[in-house]
Amino acid sequence: MFEITYEVVVFVLGITAVLAAFGVILCASPIYCALYLIGNMICLALLFLLFNAEFIAAVQIIVYAGAVMILFLFIIALLGGKKEISEPSVQRSSAFTFVILLFCELLLAAAVKPTHPITGDMAPDVVNAIGSAKAVGIELFSRHLVPFELASILLLIATIGIICLAKFSYLPARRRLK
Amino acid sequence: MFFYAWFILILPLLGFIGLSLLGDKIPKKQAGYAGCLTVGLSFLVTLTVLGQLLGLAPEKRLGHVETLYQWVSSGSFKLDLAILIDPLSVFMFLIVTGVGFLIHVYSLEYMKDDPEYSRFFAYLNLFIFSMLLLVAAADFFFLIVGWAFVGLASYLLIGFWKEKTSAVLAARKAFVMNVIGDVGMVIAALMIFQNFNSLSYMDVFSAAPDQFRTNDDTMLMITLLLLVGAFAKSAQIPLHTWLPDAMEGPTPVSALIHAATMVTAGVYLVARCHVLYELAPYTMYFIAGIGAITAIFAGTMGMVQYDIKRVIAYSTMSQLGYMFLAVGIGVFSFGMFHLMTHAFFKALLFLSAGSVIHGMNGEQDIRKMGGLRFAMPLTHITFLVGAVCLAGVPLTSGFFSKEAIIMSSWHAEMGNFVFWGMAVLAAGMTGFYIFRVYFYTFIGKSRSPETHPHESPFIMAAPLLILAFLSLVMGFSAHWVDQFLGPVFGATAHHYEDATLETIAVLAGLGGILTAGVVYMTSQDKLEFAKQALAPVYDLLFNKYYIDEIYDFLIVKPVRAIGAFFEQKVEKEGVDFVVDEVGLQVREISRGISFWQSGNVRTYALSMLVGMVTILFFVVFL
Amino acid sequence: MGHQFVLIISATIFCIGTAGFLIRKNPLIMLMSVELMLNSVNFLLVGYSSFLKTLDGQIFALIIMTVAAAEVVVGLAIILTIFRTRHELNVDHINVLKG
Repeated sequence: MFEITYEVVVFVLGITAVLAAFGVILCASPIYCALYLIGNMICLALLFLLFNAEFIAAVQIIVYAGAVMILFLFIIALLGGKKEISEPSVQRSSAFTFVILLFCELLLAAAVKPTHPITGDMAPDVVNAIGSAKAVGIELFSRHLVPFELASILLLIATIGIICLAKFSYLPARRRLK
Repeated sequence: MFFYAWFILILPLLGFIGLSLLGDKIPKKQAGYAGCLTVGLSFLVTLTVLGQLLGLAPEKRLGHVETLYQWVSSGSFKLDLAILIDPLSVFMFLIVTGVGFLIHVYSLEYMKDDPEYSRFFAYLNLFIFSMLLLVAAADFFFLIVGWAFVGLASYLLIGFWKEKTSAVLAARKAFVMNVIGDVGMVIAALMIFQNFNSLSYMDVFSAAPDQFRTNDDTMLMITLLLLVGAFAKSAQIPLHTWLPDAMEGPTPVSALIHAATMVTAGVYLVARCHVLYELAPYTMYFIAGIGAITAIFAGTMGMVQYDIKRVIAYSTMSQLGYMFLAVGIGVFSFGMFHLMTHAFFKALLFLSAGSVIHGMNGEQDIRKMGGLRFAMPLTHITFLVGAVCLAGVPLTSGFFSKEAIIMSSWHAEMGNFVFWGMAVLAAGMTGFYIFRVYFYTFIGKSRSPETHPHESPFIMAAPLLILAFLSLVMGFSAHWVDQFLGPVFGATAHHYEDATLETIAVLAGLGGILTAGVVYMTSQDKLEFAKQALAPVYDLLFNKYYIDEIYDFLIVKPVRAIGAFFEQKVEKEGVDFVVDEVGLQVREISRGISFWQSGNVRTYALSMLVGMVTILFFVVFL
Repeated sequence: MGHQFVLIISATIFCIGTAGFLIRKNPLIMLMSVELMLNSVNFLLVGYSSFLKTLDGQIFALIIMTVAAAEVVVGLAIILTIFRTRHELNVDHINVLKG
């Protein structure tokens, strides 16, 4: 009798995520691609939930599936989602060859089991006891404060960069005269 | 205390920079005045320094080092931008700026028609500045800097008429000879630094007597290497060949080189480093010997030349030989005294000769002159004054300074009769060659009637008169100079009295003059006969002992051959070939792989992926 | 469902993202492929954070999200600028840097 267990849920969500990823790269129209990407992200967010990372799951939904993808959709709406005609080419076949090679290598690497796993003391029940968001917050603001601040500086720089890109208009780039 | 002494150096430097930058923009006249003004002011500052120095007790006059700022401080090596004020340097300042100023004034008129008037004065100022830097330096480093600057300035001035091939060649020759000397100096300075860990005069001279025995090998080496520089600058055998050729420059330049600056640097160097030389008596003997030989050698060459400036040039060499003889036998202050009197009468002779050349419209061959005493009475008198001083006729300045040296060459501790004999012989020759020129130029009838010599204007005559006056009377300052310089050299030189020797020396000089007169009076036929009889000797002398030809054969030809070989084989077929091939191959390869840079983002991404796969391959399998 | 499964899913999504980046010509979709790759790594990190009982992986994932957000925003702005000047979106036609 088929029983819905933790493992089955994880397995199904994983497979769905992979299929959604295929959808992203195989759809001709950008708007479908974006929708598939949202599906992929939601699957991953659910997987995060199953791995006891509620906070990250929430961030994934809000920031990625929410903000970032909305931005994507806006841009697609602005630029017009033209369909793309794909024809076989040397570039394409060699890309596939090397991607498959890469995949094989990654699988081989995955076959090696970790010899000395470094385990911490944040067992799921401990995290649940204090709450995922709180636990992440304590970690973030104590041991990982410097990367956190650096990330904030990065966001600031990105903001400035976008303002510059949006505010000033650029002349069309001309080909160098031969 | 003497900080304002820096202005002695700064003023000519300002003149040089100003004239170089603005020379074309201001009128010719003002450029010349500016050039004279800087040196004149420099002379006034020197007089002030002299006055203040004389106000001090003799033993307190030494070792005033005026530091502008510390230039280098690297570990134990410290180098200050400093000048040294003591009687010796002030004495040299006086000669350089004083005689230099008179020559500047003279040039105002002499170079009047030259289109590049301001360039000339800029160079003159540079020359004065470099010589002052050389003299003022408080360490061996700036001595070498000044030394090299003097070489540069002389190069620029000798080759001033750059459209004249011979002038350019002469300038090049002077420069090369001077650089040979510079190399010796630099090696000597490095050895000094190695042994004393300092380049400052004060440190070196105070440490040397404790650190080295007399005639220590190192000390001999250092002094001999310094001497290479001194000989090159002061045109002593065997590095003398540039001096006669330097006559290609304008006459004021010759005067400046021969009287006030440049050639005296060698004598100054030996006097300045007397502490080191006293530790190396062998080198002193060597100096004295070379000095005496040069005195005779140059005298013999001077006796047969026909170019008025060349004769005077050889006389300079000869007199420098005397100075080296003096410092070589340890009577430094006599050497410096002769340097001073020589500066006066040699400047006088050169400027008078310049006046003659000016009056004769550029003619320098004494065979074409004659009878100028009527056309140029003033120049005649000043030239005569210079000639009697040079010949050492009693009571002129040349007499006092030369007699002191000749006496010392016998009586001084290091003197002997060989030096004395050579000195007397050279004195006789001096009288002969200078009066030969005098008779040829001023006495008798004009040999080229078509020229119309004219007396020079006042602005040229004034420096001549001042110099003539100084040449005549400065001989009486012998005692004062000795007292003034005494503290520098540790003791005043003893003046030896020996009536017999003195008479012989004076008679030698007068004999030379008399011989010149006799030769001049005898008829041309008999002279030709004598010339025939002495033909080999005459040719040898007239061709300057073939030294130029020997150098040409021994050094210039092989170097040229090696150069040609390198140009043909090594340069064209070796280096050039390799360089060209490298360039060509790189271009070919680049052409082959430039399609790689397609500008296509996806191709680049693919390349990245390939790299990633390769790296992972090694990570996984190895 | 243990470590192996997480590794394989992550590697698969990563390779799909790589392939997407290489074969698509629309820069928007290329950017989405990059997001896929980043997400696959995030998944791996969070998964292992759970297995190894430490929160470091989650922190790392959070930082990666920040970087990804910044990167996407700048990337989209650049795409917009390119479109404004060239009026087309095909990376194969953007080869001004050709050697």
